[in-house]
Amino acid sequence: MTRLNGGLIDRSQTLSFSFDGKSYRGHPGDTLASALLANDQRLVGRSFKYHRPRGVISAGSEEPNALVELRNGARQEPNTRATVTELFEGLVANSQNHMGRLEFDLLAVNDWLAPFFAAGFYYKTFMWPKAFWEKLYEPAIRRAAGLGSLSLQPDPDAYDKGFLHCDLLVIGGGAAGLAAALTAARSGAQVILVDEDFRLGGRLLAESHALNDAPAVGWIAGVEAEFATLPNLRVMRRTTVFGAYDHGIFGAVERVSDHLATPGKRVRQTLWRITTKHSILAAGATERHIPFANNDRPGVMLAGAMRAYANRWAVSAAQRVAIFTNNNDGHRTACDLVAKGVDIAGVIDTRSDAKSLGAYPLYAGAVVSNSRGRLGLRKIEVTRNGQTQWLSCGALGVSGGWNPNVHLSSHHRGRPVWSEALQAFVPGIGGPPGLSVAGAALGQGSTQAALISGAEAARDALVDLGIPATLPVLPHAEDAPQTLQSYWHVPGKPRAWVDFQNDVTVKDITLAHQENMRPVEHLKRWTTLGMATDQGKTANVTALAVMAELTGKSIPETGTTMFRPPYTGVSLSVLGGGDSGEDFRPRRLTPTHDWAAAQGAVFVEAGPWMRAQYYPRAGETHWRQSVDREVLATRAGVGLCDVTTLGKVDVQGADAGEFLNRIYANGMKTLQVGRVRYGLMLREDGFAYDDGTCARLGEDHYVVTTTTAQAGAIYRHLEFARQCLWPELEVHLISTTDAWAQIAVAGPKSRALLEQVVDDFDLSNAGFPFMACAGLTVCNGLRARLFRISFSGELAYEIAVPARYGTALMARLVALGKDLGATPYGTEALGVLRIEKGHAAGNELNGQTTAQMLGMGRMVSTKKDSVGAVMSRREGLVGETRVLVGLQPLDPSLPVVAGAHLFAEGAAPKTETDQGWITSACFSPHVGSAIGLGFLADGAARIGEVVVAANPLERQSVKLRVVPPHFVDPEGGRLRV
Amino acid sequence: MLIPHPLLGLRDAQEFVYLGDASLLNRPDGMAEGAAEAFGDYVYLRDNPAGVHRELWFHEQGDRSWLVVTRDTTTHEILGAELARDVALAAKGGAA
Amino acid sequence: MSDLKPITALGGAVSRAQSFGALSIVENSGLALASLALRDGMTPPIPMGLTLPGPGGWTTGGDVAAFWTGPGQWMIEAEGKAEEDFAAALAAQVPGGFVTEQTDGWVAFEISSAAGEGPIRRLMEKVVNVDVAGFAPGCATRTGLEHMSVFLIRRAEDRLAIIGMRTLAASLWHALETAATRLQDHPAA
Repeated sequence: MTRLNGGLIDRSQTLSFSFDGKSYRGHPGDTLASALLANDQRLVGRSFKYHRPRGVISAGSEEPNALVELRNGARQEPNTRATVTELFEGLVANSQNHMGRLEFDLLAVNDWLAPFFAAGFYYKTFMWPKAFWEKLYEPAIRRAAGLGSLSLQPDPDAYDKGFLHCDLLVIGGGAAGLAAALTAARSGAQVILVDEDFRLGGRLLAESHALNDAPAVGWIAGVEAEFATLPNLRVMRRTTVFGAYDHGIFGAVERVSDHLATPGKRVRQTLWRITTKHSILAAGATERHIPFANNDRPGVMLAGAMRAYANRWAVSAAQRVAIFTNNNDGHRTACDLVAKGVDIAGVIDTRSDAKSLGAYPLYAGAVVSNSRGRLGLRKIEVTRNGQTQWLSCGALGVSGGWNPNVHLSSHHRGRPVWSEALQAFVPGIGGPPGLSVAGAALGQGSTQAALISGAEAARDALVDLGIPATLPVLPHAEDAPQTLQSYWHVPGKPRAWVDFQNDVTVKDITLAHQENMRPVEHLKRWTTLGMATDQGKTANVTALAVMAELTGKSIPETGTTMFRPPYTGVSLSVLGGGDSGEDFRPRRLTPTHDWAAAQGAVFVEAGPWMRAQYYPRAGETHWRQSVDREVLATRAGVGLCDVTTLGKVDVQGADAGEFLNRIYANGMKTLQVGRVRYGLMLREDGFAYDDGTCARLGEDHYVVTTTTAQAGAIYRHLEFARQCLWPELEVHLISTTDAWAQIAVAGPKSRALLEQVVDDFDLSNAGFPFMACAGLTVCNGLRARLFRISFSGELAYEIAVPARYGTALMARLVALGKDLGATPYGTEALGVLRIEKGHAAGNELNGQTTAQMLGMGRMVSTKKDSVGAVMSRREGLVGETRVLVGLQPLDPSLPVVAGAHLFAEGAAPKTETDQGWITSACFSPHVGSAIGLGFLADGAARIGEVVVAANPLERQSVKLRVVPPHFVDPEGGRLRV
Repeated sequence: MLIPHPLLGLRDAQEFVYLGDASLLNRPDGMAEGAAEAFGDYVYLRDNPAGVHRELWFHEQGDRSWLVVTRDTTTHEILGAELARDVALAAKGGAA
Repeated sequence: MSDLKPITALGGAVSRAQSFGALSIVENSGLALASLALRDGMTPPIPMGLTLPGPGGWTTGGDVAAFWTGPGQWMIEAEGKAEEDFAAALAAQVPGGFVTEQTDGWVAFEISSAAGEGPIRRLMEKVVNVDVAGFAPGCATRTGLEHMSVFLIRRAEDRLAIIGMRTLAASLWHALETAATRLQDHPAA
């Protein structure tokens, strides 16, 4: 065990966990990484390309190496960073990306083949022969490369989403973030403080510095205690802000129960959409390493991470460690480790004038030039003035300076700028409006500077919002100056890693340079630098510096690092955000839904609606039997169908008639009160849009119906016309689709049935003729609306009652109609009835057809202006000869398939000879064969001809006779009896 | 994005349905001379500016107002929003 | 009175009601609704003594209340009048106005908290993208909830009404039930 004294772990409790099947112990407060290091497990995984042994590099979300498959079974999650995984009792983790045991990875052969795997390897090697790519190369590469593996089981956990609003969002809970949140929350503003860690404090937790001469945790505890008293502040731990979006909207993921063995009743994660007036980015900084030969061995890590493990987690990666640095920060690690009793083999400092800050051997003006140790670091080679020597050590902390975490500040095309003084990119111009940056993310690296810049940023943001705020009294803290010498990599022949996750070395960058892939965008794609789960957080700037050196340009001339969301990986499950399966999307249920379900109806999705498709009866083994029965029963007696789904819009106002005259291609102003008219709407480009009925209930009151599918779009269209085109007309619109349960009562006995429910109302043909409408009462006083309209071609009505009575009315009609053969029918029979009658529906009104094609060309009035009227008279549309016809197979045993295209007999079926297509088809029990509707060139003149329907998908070719589109009662006599 | 609704203040763009260029307000008279050509332009011709654009948004999950929103397409900065009905009425000479 | 028996929007013979810790959700089947639009240039009426609210507002006067739904358009609510012809009663109060019966177009869920405004706020944060801090008693708005269109009315600090489309009642209940159950099981999140 390499546990040290102190630390922020709870030693009173022990947690057991397993890694690669072996049991280990840790404590609450540990991460998986700290617990593994405490158990001397330096080797954690294998690298992406070369399968090199790898260990923990960082102590945070930037980790490129220590990726594991966490949990097992359905909850197994690959590529989980051990450095941010909170330890819990029973945690199970497995190393990934190796074949055989982690220690003896068979694919490590790739490392010996490394000369073949240089930059652009895939692009160059697998080019030829082309056919090999899909069949051979890609599957083989995918097997060998890649990171962890998926469980391939459904995700068992629940996810949530939510919406938050605030005046100020503070991103990051370190020194700057805490000072900002404290300043803002005391002012009374609505504040949200978000931090990705499970404990507030950021780097303060990793350092040994005092605040006001006392440990920092004391000050943090005091701040947290005050936070708890401020209702206007919301503190969100374990939450990562992953993206900045337009107008102050941020995306964040809260890991609600990832720190538990299983979520229990909780959700696993919550996706938050945060809308804020101002934001402060206090995301800190990420340390960079210095590439040297074989710098990727387990045990080589960032010096700041080494310090964090010692101070926060009381862990040292080895008994004897060395430090390689180009600045004083590396020395801090040495001092803190010495204080904890760790043996320091030496501090190797690139600066020749470096001073020792403690009791350890110093190698000033020296570099680490190589390392040894197959599965973990054993020795480092130190070079000074051309002389080399080997030092024994089990871990090496590398400190190459700190890169401000500018990521979110560059999400809105913000371009980071290079600071010569800091030798780092800092937030520049542009970026999300209202976002200011504070603390180490701004390059204010000392604790004192971070505290002050956080508080000031908050005060300035609040002043902007008109909220008075004063700076709090901040603790006295260290304020060491920047002491960095620009030093980017140690030259040498062996490979020196820049990007650990993608196995990109200095050599690869050199090769990219030679091959002229010099702009950063090319460099990235040629070498895969900065890709995958860590997005190059520890690599990008270093790679840029190496490229700058090769080109002889400055770093800012070479390029800059830009970032897009997400800051760290976001699971698709949480983006999906909630319900799945049946509850995946809202479902609209008709007023008779439960009744239909009780009758055994089979339901079908129709857009958002669930509709009864057909009602099987005992003995019926095929849906066609049910549908044929429903159709025949309707034509012979009376059928009942819930048609509530049709859109209904109340149109009222002095100018309602004039308004509808301009909406419909045909006239509506002349419609008499108490009458209904069929109406066709066009789009402004002249094509058919939607159809339905329009009923005039009063002098200035119409009810418009739309098709089910277009109800929403037509309402929007009507509002557009009302508000944007003709605002001078007095018209008011309101949807009443849901308010009325509407039941179609169709068939020769429909009148006889309805007579039993209407209260004192003359239903005779003279009293209530075809296309009449009226308000009335039914069943002893229930308000209702009655329309004598027909979609089936039979004598038919639609009766509407308040929705809550829909089920009762349907049940009553079925009961009263028993002797008349009253039969409920579903959407299948509805479709058959309307195809038999030749009524156009969604298949015919598909946005590509015109009034003329539908046989309604003459309905488009030329005496008035209406939407689409002018464009419908365009040459191309007027010249269209394809019109709606009926189609019937010569051999009644053959099918008619919607979507099949029509050709003249004997013509080769190809685009040039295409004469139209079949829009709707069904089996017609009335005709006794399959029938169809379709658009056929010169169709009106070809009644009686034979055409061929080609359905190449099923290799079918069926001869059809062209007939008028009305298979039932072409004269319409049945409607008017 | 947030749309500054003239009556309801800042509202999330998710509540809205986007239509396009506000030139759709200027519908030609279908009974006038040259209507065919005017409608060809009205239906098919649009400017596609990189910069300030006046466009129509419908507050579908809201008060069902059509808005004319002035937006910079390069930055998404919103420079203003008006009720389309007011804009249309003003264009017609304030006739009510 | 008709001899037909109505069912509630959720399909029951009686309204559904369920408690989730401090929160309770009740299907309000007795609420009558009618929309009101004014004729151009008409002086705003004071139907049933109600001052019609401005944009985003809700006013109440005893058993009737009104909320703004769009320019020149309101929804008038009447508690316990679902079985009466409330639209006709309203129309009689507003001669020349345009009234449309809306009672059956909607399902109303009355949500109340036994622990102050906190549970209401947390529920709203989970289901609607509305700034709760600015949504004080007397506010009403329409917005999206799980892709459904709803009206929200803040009737009091500890009371919120969510009025959704009737045909979506089951889906809306599912959404609210899920959110309320999670808040009950894990109040902190």
